[in-house]
Amino acid sequence: MSAPPAVGTDALVDELWQAVADGDEYTAVDVVRRARADGADEETLLLDVIAAVQDRVGSEWAADRLTVAQEHAATAISERVITALVHDRPPAGGPDRAPKGRVTVSCVDGEWHALPARLVAEVLRLRGWRVDFLGAQTPTPHLVSHLHSTSSEAVLLSGSLPTHLPTAHAAITACQAVGVPVMAGGRAFGPDGRYARALGADRWAPDARAAAAQLEELSFPHRSVPRQVMDDLPHLTDQEYTFVAQSRSRLVRQALTGLENRFPALRAYGDAQRERTAEDLAHIVDFLATALYVDDSALFTTFLCWTADVLEARRVPAHPVATALAVLGESLRDFPRALGLLADGTAALADRPLRPAPGPDTEA
Amino acid sequence: MTDLPPPALRLTVTHGALELTVDVAGDLDLDTHDHLVETVTEQLARHPEARGVRLDFTELSWIDSVGLSALLMVHRRTRAAGRALYLDNRSALLERLLRQTGTLGHLTARPGRGEGATGANAT
Amino acid sequence: MTARFPHNHRKRLASCGSMRDCCRKTSVVRCREVVGRVRGASPRVFGTSGSPVDPPSAAVSVGAAWAHAPYPVIVADRDGALVELNDAAQVLWTDAARGDRLDDTVPTWLADAHGRFADGTREGTGLASGAVADRFFEAHPTPADDGDVVWWLVDDTDRRLAEAALTGARQRTALLADVSSQLLSTLNVTRCMEATARMATDHLAEAALLVAPPQGRRHQLTYAYRGGPVTRVTAPVDVHAVPGLAEALQGFPPVPARWINPADLPGWVQPADFAGPVGSVIVTPLPGHGVPAGALILLRSSGEQAFSGDEELFARLFAARAGAALSAARLYTEQASITATLMRELLPPRLESVHGVEYAGAYRPARDNERIGGDFYDVHPGTDPGEETLVVLGDVAGKGLDAAVLTGKIRNTLHALLPLATDHERTLTLLNSALLSSHHTRFATLVLASVRRRGSKVELRLTSAGHLAPLIVRGDGSVEETATRGSLIGALPKVTSATANVTLRPGETCLLYTDGVTEARGGPLGDELFGDDRLKRVLAECAGMPAEAVVERIQMLAAQWVGSGSHDDVATVAISAPRAADLTVAGGQGRAGGTTYRRNG
Repeated sequence: MSAPPAVGTDALVDELWQAVADGDEYTAVDVVRRARADGADEETLLLDVIAAVQDRVGSEWAADRLTVAQEHAATAISERVITALVHDRPPAGGPDRAPKGRVTVSCVDGEWHALPARLVAEVLRLRGWRVDFLGAQTPTPHLVSHLHSTSSEAVLLSGSLPTHLPTAHAAITACQAVGVPVMAGGRAFGPDGRYARALGADRWAPDARAAAAQLEELSFPHRSVPRQVMDDLPHLTDQEYTFVAQSRSRLVRQALTGLENRFPALRAYGDAQRERTAEDLAHIVDFLATALYVDDSALFTTFLCWTADVLEARRVPAHPVATALAVLGESLRDFPRALGLLADGTAALADRPLRPAPGPDTEA
Repeated sequence: MTDLPPPALRLTVTHGALELTVDVAGDLDLDTHDHLVETVTEQLARHPEARGVRLDFTELSWIDSVGLSALLMVHRRTRAAGRALYLDNRSALLERLLRQTGTLGHLTARPGRGEGATGANAT
Repeated sequence: MTARFPHNHRKRLASCGSMRDCCRKTSVVRCREVVGRVRGASPRVFGTSGSPVDPPSAAVSVGAAWAHAPYPVIVADRDGALVELNDAAQVLWTDAARGDRLDDTVPTWLADAHGRFADGTREGTGLASGAVADRFFEAHPTPADDGDVVWWLVDDTDRRLAEAALTGARQRTALLADVSSQLLSTLNVTRCMEATARMATDHLAEAALLVAPPQGRRHQLTYAYRGGPVTRVTAPVDVHAVPGLAEALQGFPPVPARWINPADLPGWVQPADFAGPVGSVIVTPLPGHGVPAGALILLRSSGEQAFSGDEELFARLFAARAGAALSAARLYTEQASITATLMRELLPPRLESVHGVEYAGAYRPARDNERIGGDFYDVHPGTDPGEETLVVLGDVAGKGLDAAVLTGKIRNTLHALLPLATDHERTLTLLNSALLSSHHTRFATLVLASVRRRGSKVELRLTSAGHLAPLIVRGDGSVEETATRGSLIGALPKVTSATANVTLRPGETCLLYTDGVTEARGGPLGDELFGDDRLKRVLAECAGMPAEAVVERIQMLAAQWVGSGSHDDVATVAISAPRAADLTVAGGQGRAGGTTYRRNG
């Protein structure tokens, strides 16, 4: 963060959090409007209050203190708070501010988490950019045709879930092939932006303020750089990513069978429970495939440890995750990189700090 | 080349004394609906002696709204030609689609007076 | 051939006279011709010894044949004095005479090479190469008696020229390929013009100005200056002020650069950073697909070399590529804008709260490269809060543009029938007869919902015309299927329908949806239907959510269920009774014992 949060931000965050957690849209909008009337800077409200509250929504969900419904309601309310804030904004930033260039802010195809991108879009608008905000779940062909039909000088691509990195890569290369530079941002690209670099993004920004600052430095116009995914990620020639991604369903089925053989009690579960286990396995396979794509085991181990934490927060034992890795390994014997990742994952799970074991688990 | 996948929709026509039977197997959908309509239309023209057409759905695996549209067209053409249409061995999926869309009665009603040229009257 | 030099002829050579008498008058200005003449000279015996320039070491170890060799040959002693030179060499150095210092006679590269060869510091064979006048030679040394060195010069000019030409051609081809790839990658006219101007300054000129065809009386002007930014303005400039520009914009052949007097150019032709004055200029049309795509003006300041004929030719090749790319971009832009205009009518509307009821809609077309498809929805607000708002959601058999056109017809017809919409059955009957056709049995299924808020509750009248029955999400998390049935629209002679009445309490939601949700195929195991039961289970978790959140969640789960697989159009509309402000979100709907991953991390 380049600017220190304004005094009193913490109190505002608490107040807004309470309203959002209660699903109380009116109070939430009121809190922010009042702060604005009291002289709070809009950018501070967006980034140090609303974004902070949204971070808390995420961590409270992970800790099982918010339901899915509450989380969705909270996000919807945050959206409405932003809308109200923007609605109150005086038109066009003031006469002394010459308009800067035009940029496009979009989420990666398949990414539903639109709020971070929305915050970036609003901050850039505040700073005088003309922003086309394409929102969540933007198919890459829509993004590219948008670039053809507008004169955007840059694309800011937002991704939260790392499993969208291969799709993000396709979007980055497509935009650059059209001659538009891409700045990547969001958790998907890694805490230090390493995946943004791996995928050939022109820039990476850790947050909205940094994105705004970096945008000033990007040089325009840009050369078109047509290239293939292999040019960025030569390891993909080993086909391990392709195999794992294409065999997703089969790997999940095999792993499910393998798990049921080791934990016969699983068979007694209902269809819904079985489906959840299958979903969990599908996530593991998705993250494994993505880690193969970017050739980075930290991506896989971080996900596994987070998963284990989330499970334990819900009083579900986490050790079947390690078993799932072992079972997956049996299906991937011919794939050394995948086996390496599974081994790293197993080690990372074993190294995790011990937590109070919730509930008895009788499986041996 | 020898391992081409089976066609998504397989139609088998058998001729009885007074009826044509068409076994409808596979998927009846956007990609295949024309095939059914064309086959039945052609058979109607070729067999003026047949009083009725039986579509047998024992092996139907999938039908979507475009497939239903094809059934409605087949119905319209058989009726226009003064023949009866029977939908035999309807799967649960087909039955449900017909009920949901309110077309079951229409498609399975016995031809009565004045109903012979239902579709042709429409504009 | 140095190896085959006949040593036994050296004595005869030793008596050679000077060959400069026969050749010295010849100019080296047209070297090629001279060499030809020397080659054609008849053999002769060189003069006798005793010439004033006869060096003391005249006993040079070379044979007589060398004198007439078609290649220049010189002999020098270890001290760097010229011992002998043949006819061909004399042509190169017309004033050279025996005894001259090599340093004063031949170019430095050869004199230095000789020095190195003579004192033994040479590397390898001692082969040297360099220019003599405007020709290029390789000089091969062979040792002779007494430390003399015979230098055999092989004219390498043509090969060098051919290589240079080849390299130039390759560079130009590579450049043109790069130009095409840069320009064809974008279908955006502005970006294409900028790239053209920028590449013109990278490769052809100090400054470039691209003049677009006029829009009214104004032209878009794109300026580039080497090393500077590309700038754009739109201005009413007089194109006749630039010689050849008006013609270029009309597609006439370009005026040769040498006909244009740079002093005649108006000031607006130069970019702001251009130091000027203009030394030379090229004006070339950008030929498009049938119509000119604009014109390109290339400038060099008087300090730089003027454009050569080759460069002018190359500039035209460049302009041809740029013109083709610009035309493609223009064509795309026109098509895209026509499509956008036609599509605007077919796009689903944005929904918001109306008369105290929350509405939210979301639509995902089957094909990712299209924005429209066979599903549709509309909300027609009542004229005042006491009137019912009509909501319609439907699905036309088929996908893509064909289906979308039919949705447009249905939506327009329904809009026209709004005054009658309180009577659902009558509305559906009228719509049915409007759509019925003898040519096809393409039909639509749809749901009509008439919505009105009463106090804190919302009253709905719901009628399905062959469509999936709407689902009601109650405050306690139970999910009800509404009891409405009816026949589809547009294929049957007569429609029937039954309307259901539903009341929503605060926080409760009615979901209208298309079969794209329930028929989504995928899931963790790959080939399962999303199905009714899963939809109801998921909706149960949506109790108490705002309408937008319900719609977003259903769309998200359906999309994630399908993953990268193909899917049908998916449309969802949620109608919600707003929660009272003091109610807290219905808690306790979390999934017991199970886990899921938070959407998008």
